[in-house]
Amino acid sequence: MSLNANVVEFAHLQEVEMARYIIDATKEVFSTMMVMEVEDQYPMSEPVNKFHCSITGMVGLAGSYTGILSIHCPAHLAMKITSNMLGMEVEEVGEDVSDALGEIANMLGGHVKQVLSKGGSDLNLSIPTVISGETYTINSVSNDSVMIPFQFENEKFLVGLTIRKEY
Amino acid sequence: MSNILIVDDSSTMRKIISRSLRQAGLAVDTIYEAADGIEGLNALGAGPIDLILSDINMPNMDGLEFVKQARAQGCKAPIVMITTEGGEDIIGEAINSGANGSIRKPFTPDQLQEKLGGLI
Repeated sequence: MSLNANVVEFAHLQEVEMARYIIDATKEVFSTMMVMEVEDQYPMSEPVNKFHCSITGMVGLAGSYTGILSIHCPAHLAMKITSNMLGMEVEEVGEDVSDALGEIANMLGGHVKQVLSKGGSDLNLSIPTVISGETYTINSVSNDSVMIPFQFENEKFLVGLTIRKEY
Repeated sequence: MSNILIVDDSSTMRKIISRSLRQAGLAVDTIYEAADGIEGLNALGAGPIDLILSDINMPNMDGLEFVKQARAQGCKAPIVMITTEGGEDIIGEAINSGANGSIRKPFTPDQLQEKLGGLI
């Protein structure tokens, strides 16, 4: 699990620099939209692809690069995040939580797009996709990824970027 | 007091924008909501609109097409894009299509006040 060599070459970014962009973007989104100060725990010791009682929000990038920006969050923390975003108590994983996690993925994807494409027209963001369930596994055929653990109070969540250069 | 149309496919974001407008102390009367460009065009006939805030990346009809069609239909209200898109090509296309400015997500109520205070 590491950043694709072509991405490093064309974007002039080492993995640790890309991780720093994602960390800064995540902290900004959480601080600004949820009034939540999150701490990163980069680098990650072991890759994770199995999730329990969690929500995953994803947004695709396509064009000069292809990839997926994802946020994986335990259900309890996802409800807390959504409550803070909406300014009201959310007590079940439903439409509001899915929409909130999708929108966070969208904002983080926008930051990544800004890093990889100054003009923006050569790289498109998809509409967000959200997965939730008691147990699920997310597999990618590519290992070209950066995964960053974050902590809020005693709960952890992950932000990941799988990306490769296309042209 | 101003009537504002928010066009965004995220219901969460529409709520955040509505709340932030009031927190920013902007003179807001009625807020209309639309989940994509098509709903946004339909909402233009709902009543007098003084300001439109629109996302860009949306299903069915995106924000760039919405701006073009709204202007083609004679909509004179200021349109400000509120979007994750910060690229100069995309924002430039929005401005060329008739948008009056852009605000990057995430945003604070103070940033809304700064960008929108002169428009309503």
